[in-house]
Amino acid sequence: MTTQALGADKKARSARWALRRRFAAWAPVAVLALLCVIIALINPNFLSAGNFVRIAQAAMIPLVLGLGATFVILMGSIDLSVEGVLSLSAVILSLLVLNGANSNDFGPLAILPVLLVGAAVGFVNGVVHVGLKTPSFMTTLGTWFIGVGVANALLGGTAVRINDPFIRGLAIERFLGLPWGVWLALACLAVAFVIQNNTRLGRYVYALGGGEELAALSGIPVARVRVLTFTLAGVFYAIGGILAAAQLGLGNSLIGNGRLFSTITAVVVGGTALSGGEGSVLQTLVGVLIVAVLNNGMVLADVPPSYQIGVQGLMIIAAVALSIDRNVMRIVK
Amino acid sequence: MRAPIGRLEFDRIRQWMPIVTLVLLIALVGAFQPGFLEPETLLQLASDTAVLFVLATGVTFVIMIGGIDLSIQSMASLASVIVALTVSRWGYAAFAFAIAAGILAGFLSGVAHVRLKVPSFIATLAMGGVLFSAALVLSRERSITLQTSERDYQTWITGALLGVPNVIVIALVVLAVAHTIQSRTRFGRYSAAIGAGEPAAYASGVKVDRQKIIALVLSGTCAALAGVILAGRLASGSPTLASELLLPSIAAVVVGGTAITGGVGSIWRTLIGALIISVVRIGMTFVGVDIFAQNIVFGAVLIIAVAVTIDRSKIPIVK
Amino acid sequence: MSASADEPVLAMAGIEKSFPGVRALKHVSLELRPGEVVGLVGENGAGKSTLMKILSGVYQPDAGEIRLGGRATRFASAADANRQGVGMVFQEQSLLLNLTVGENIYLGTEAQFTRLGLVDWRALYASATRQLAKVQVDVDPRTRAAALDFATRQMVELAKALTLEEHASGHLVILLDEPTSVLERPEIEILFQRVRALKARASFIFVSHRLSEVLELSDRIYVMKDGAVVAELQAAEADVKTLHRLMVGRGLQAEYYREPLQKPFGADVVLELDGLGRGDAYRDVSFKLHAGEILGIAGVLGSGREELTRTLAGLRPHDRGRLIVGGREVRLSTPADAVDVDLGYVPRERRVEGLVLFLSVAANITLPSLKQLARRALIDLGEEQRLAKTWVERLKVRTPGVDALCLNLSGGNQQKVVLAKWLNAKARILILDHPTRGLDVGAKEEVYELVRAATGEGVAVILTSDTLEETIGLSHTVIVMRDGVVTYRTPASPGAKPNQVDLIGHMV
Repeated sequence: MTTQALGADKKARSARWALRRRFAAWAPVAVLALLCVIIALINPNFLSAGNFVRIAQAAMIPLVLGLGATFVILMGSIDLSVEGVLSLSAVILSLLVLNGANSNDFGPLAILPVLLVGAAVGFVNGVVHVGLKTPSFMTTLGTWFIGVGVANALLGGTAVRINDPFIRGLAIERFLGLPWGVWLALACLAVAFVIQNNTRLGRYVYALGGGEELAALSGIPVARVRVLTFTLAGVFYAIGGILAAAQLGLGNSLIGNGRLFSTITAVVVGGTALSGGEGSVLQTLVGVLIVAVLNNGMVLADVPPSYQIGVQGLMIIAAVALSIDRNVMRIVK
Repeated sequence: MRAPIGRLEFDRIRQWMPIVTLVLLIALVGAFQPGFLEPETLLQLASDTAVLFVLATGVTFVIMIGGIDLSIQSMASLASVIVALTVSRWGYAAFAFAIAAGILAGFLSGVAHVRLKVPSFIATLAMGGVLFSAALVLSRERSITLQTSERDYQTWITGALLGVPNVIVIALVVLAVAHTIQSRTRFGRYSAAIGAGEPAAYASGVKVDRQKIIALVLSGTCAALAGVILAGRLASGSPTLASELLLPSIAAVVVGGTAITGGVGSIWRTLIGALIISVVRIGMTFVGVDIFAQNIVFGAVLIIAVAVTIDRSKIPIVK
Repeated sequence: MSASADEPVLAMAGIEKSFPGVRALKHVSLELRPGEVVGLVGENGAGKSTLMKILSGVYQPDAGEIRLGGRATRFASAADANRQGVGMVFQEQSLLLNLTVGENIYLGTEAQFTRLGLVDWRALYASATRQLAKVQVDVDPRTRAAALDFATRQMVELAKALTLEEHASGHLVILLDEPTSVLERPEIEILFQRVRALKARASFIFVSHRLSEVLELSDRIYVMKDGAVVAELQAAEADVKTLHRLMVGRGLQAEYYREPLQKPFGADVVLELDGLGRGDAYRDVSFKLHAGEILGIAGVLGSGREELTRTLAGLRPHDRGRLIVGGREVRLSTPADAVDVDLGYVPRERRVEGLVLFLSVAANITLPSLKQLARRALIDLGEEQRLAKTWVERLKVRTPGVDALCLNLSGGNQQKVVLAKWLNAKARILILDHPTRGLDVGAKEEVYELVRAATGEGVAVILTSDTLEETIGLSHTVIVMRDGVVTYRTPASPGAKPNQVDLIGHMV
């Protein structure tokens, strides 16, 4: 009889839990929907096909960057090297493809070394963080400076025009109405989704975020998972760099400016916890869309430019406040 | 189980690592360029560090409690704009306005953080955006240069006392006050307790929310003061006056040996950290590191300095 | 199985392990036969956990031999020990709460379900369902671990250990490290039943501070003291008193719970509950607590006593009825409210809620009462040192100094610091939430003594305890809760203590 009572209690508890979890995961979606409705009421042009393409274009780079950052944040760490890797890869790409500064013309082949550079910076992040036991916050702050510094040293503060039709085509040419870059970002999302859900690495990232000591006790190679995750993040940032270079048609060391904080904002707005262990790449998609739709909406609603960043700040506080599950998170840092 | 003796002694040495690092760096730059060691240069170095130190002091309070404040550079810029706009009409009261704005901004981020349960990272980042917008709107997106008559109100910043620049004196006063707050008041103790173990502090009856708001208010106040000093030194106010100071401030705190996760640290350490950052920055120019490569050296030194200075025995897991 | 009954599955001989300054294990030998449950008892610091860590591959022995299934071997890491068929069931905390049950069961061993780098979740969950069936736990393996109660989590741990038999060739060895410490009696019953049923598949080493449970479950018992095995007995021939004498080196005295020190309590009512209720956790709870009284609350998990305790600590405010402290009606919305009315909470999770581990002993002792030390907004640091030293002396806290971090103290000494904290804050009522959890016999006795001394000075105590024995032994009054209501109350004066069986009857 007692066992039954316990069982019943157990079932009720897990049902409550499941419900609460589901609510927490969908809250950002509700926020996004609400936002769309409000903006559509203010300016019906929001619903036009052309505007959707604009939003997609605005969201593609933050999405790719956010995917990388999501894995690191899920693991309970933080990665500030986003702008460093992004600038560095954009600059290297611009110097390798047909450009206005040298005679290189490696075309699409140039993408490979760029991805390798992104992976290398991420790898260094991971190795230094794990090996020297420096907090990821400081390690990646250091590589941020180094990345921007190397990009700067390569170009000496100038910008390089990209003339390569393939790279430019990523931003300009369209497939089924959307620029190829958007499709690339969606492909990245699919890959990230599979890594998150269907690979051991994905599972271990959650395990580390949930409790590193316990994960180690279960025989998880903690150091390797950390290094791999930072490396993976580096690759995503490099892809972000390629897209940024394609979109602007140039490479320079300032191309990453302001992208770090918007990336982390998008991840958190999507509902991924900075403390690790909770969240997903799909939620990051939602977070990225919230931020993109918000910015788009401010333009449509004729908010003066100098007010926009302030309004964005207030809306982000509101969005996070609405979607945080207070029952799960008692301690908020 | 008894702690191995070797480790204990090593921990004791650890405490001094930030200072040792600072001295070594000064000696290193001095070895390349003896001119660096001259009193005027060092005094100049100290003056140039003052703003960074004041900003870093504010953020130390927040980091100690386990949070972060990313709004400080926007706050400092806004303060400079407020001073530049109001000093001609209101005189010294302009500084009070600027500081009051800092207190208010800190309070609002604090409320957003604890009442709405928005992580401090996001709450202060967003507040930074709001403050930046405010500065843009107030200044009509331009830099405001102070007139000569207005600069008379700034002599308490730009002047000197017995040969020591006033900014250094101001920084020392901030050091004394902040150190006292941090080491001798209940708030200081509570914030260390919250940073090191929030659930236990909460269960012991500490009013956690209140301490968090106080920390952010102190940070906003320091940021505003830093903006006031900056406006005085540069004789202008602009919405981007203090940009590029956020990361060095946080770096100063952590390089000094304060744990980014909270609970362990001190204002002294932040002072050392700020000096390390300044020595590296200014030293690179002295030594003649290529301007475009300076960020590379800075980033590398940052990582090495943190690796050397942080006391891992007091941090549970390095994340 | 019977044929090889004499051949040990696991044999350790002459195991030595030293740490700088400490010889943790002195020539330890231990054997485990097929289908056997061996109990391992000893005080904290006797070497049990070091031995367990060697067996699970966390530490390497300095000398000695480990034979598994007759073959000499060594365990290079926890994963290596697992591969060779040695698994460990930790206390409940070792499941990752943000993962599902199935993910937890196969955490670190997903390789077997991985094809081309992708994990086949369907196969993993199907397999996890089979593992759960072995321990007769009926939960969906896709449930998140956070949604389970402690008892079920413990069963999941057991299921996780049992997965070893799928790839280890021989008979399994499973180490049970304090598996019952967070369980209530009926749940322990279920756990023991499952362990017995699994004897055909595995042999167990059962480590516990609860001697009666060790006697109940084990076939044979090893007693450790000061890093050495001092006795090996058949469970059938042993009793709690013998074990206790062997462990501590002296007899279990009648005054274990310091009953002779139990003085009649005063007439002043310091705390009154009148029809108190909260959600569906508990309701209509009424009682009066007097100065100097220890009131023990007994009940199984889900009886409401845990929630009631949290209410009094200011962590889960009540929503019905009246709570009167010191004659004033209050609602405790935060722990700060509780501290304001002189309540002191000694939490079960000492290392999380009890102490700020990374803060000094002195700072922890003065944390709730810092206001008294403030002179013109500044803390009087000299006075703080003096106070802390006084408490360390009075409570015999063994610490290198009042500036040492609490992190480095043993469990018993940490608990003394928690008590010192509330005594220094002049708490009139102490809420003791499983105050001796994880403490060894000696440390427990010291805690009992301190509690008696405090009540002697008029402090009142609400006690929820790990064992009924402790509840009965310490309390003046015992109340029993079931399904959120008080079902029974009885005085418990020395010499007229209620017996356990009676109380259990009201608990379930």
